[in-house]
Amino acid sequence: MALAGITSYIKNSSLYKTVTSGSQRVQQAFYDCVPNFSVGSEKWQKRIKWVGSEISSPENRLILGVTALMSQPFIDANNKSVDEETRKVSVCRTIAKIIAGTTTGVLIRYGCIDAINKWSKLPTSVDKLGQKVKLTGLNTLFSPSNAGHDLCEAVKQYRKTLGTILSLFVMSITNFVIDAPLTKYLTNKFIEHNGGVKHDASK
Amino acid sequence: MTPLNNLAELASKKFMSVKNYLYKHYGEEPGKMLVHTGVLSWTLSAAAQVMAIVFNDKISKKEKLFLIPQECADAAINILSFYLVTNAFTNFGVKLVKSGKLTTPKIDKYIKDNNVKDIGKITTDISKNMTGDTLEEFKSLKSGISMITNTLGSIISCNLLTPVLRNEYAARKQKEILANQKLDKNSQEISKMQLFKPLSMAAYQKLAYTKFSGSDMKI
Repeated sequence: MALAGITSYIKNSSLYKTVTSGSQRVQQAFYDCVPNFSVGSEKWQKRIKWVGSEISSPENRLILGVTALMSQPFIDANNKSVDEETRKVSVCRTIAKIIAGTTTGVLIRYGCIDAINKWSKLPTSVDKLGQKVKLTGLNTLFSPSNAGHDLCEAVKQYRKTLGTILSLFVMSITNFVIDAPLTKYLTNKFIEHNGGVKHDASK
Repeated sequence: MTPLNNLAELASKKFMSVKNYLYKHYGEEPGKMLVHTGVLSWTLSAAAQVMAIVFNDKISKKEKLFLIPQECADAAINILSFYLVTNAFTNFGVKLVKSGKLTTPKIDKYIKDNNVKDIGKITTDISKNMTGDTLEEFKSLKSGISMITNTLGSIISCNLLTPVLRNEYAARKQKEILANQKLDKNSQEISKMQLFKPLSMAAYQKLAYTKFSGSDMKI
């Protein structure tokens, strides 16, 4: 109640109103520069729909990983603020980190989303043979009570969201158990492959 | 009913409000979910990566002085850029659809038939009174565009902005740490010398030479 009171006080204050209206005006000016556009082609409509429905956190992580490999090592290699040896280690570690992080991140996200799909059955759920699934405590563990039909888009996205959240908990362990040692192993391999690092006496 | 099912049912009931909240808030906006889970993900990943550097014997102390701040900066900048860049891109995409700037012929027809006003205004929500197939098409378009703009924002923030900013920050941090270490070592030497004899000109020159004085510090 106290928090709601504070929030309402802030929202009614003249400073808040001035800032939000100013920010809205800036945003509106930016939006006004964007021309109106209608996606007429059915092919493109289908593609956009497919992206919204099928692309989720594992695919997003994969896209980020691939684009990271295409950009980050080059940025590190051209970092003139550090000496050559540090730059070399930095590039090797960046590549190792991207490979380890993307591989485990994508696999764990897929695995967790798959697990949530199995444990969030609804009364309308059917198996591969088209038979109604017998609901148990375990396979409804993550089922929401306000969900519609099993095949509706919101249920699909809910499962992906919960799967992603579950994967974050799993990754809080695998980050230490798999990611970090794998990054270390790959970094050392890449450094060795590049002729090792010269250590001077002052280090 | 098996004990495992009993336990699962109990857990299921206990977290019903959490599940319903997730269903309501993320069910139709996958882009928003990616922003929120992305922040958590980067935090956990950074913690693990810092540990990996700390315990890697093959990376020298000097390189660790660069890589540890680099990783911390990576996490801080990633989280900030996620909220500033990725979120801005996602909201931009969603608002384009909500305000009627980006449509499909079916949505265009709905706007004309229902005489929807204030098209293109950021406060407008054309889906307010939508129903049936048009609403489904609107949701699909919004979901797809939010995902596309989110991915675009993530690429820009995580793969272009972050590496440049974190390198700059980490290099500056490394210089500072090395300068402080040199200064500490030097002042220890000087205080030792002062115990036994007065400060010589050579020692004074050495102190003046190694004192950190900004960007020209060699690393």
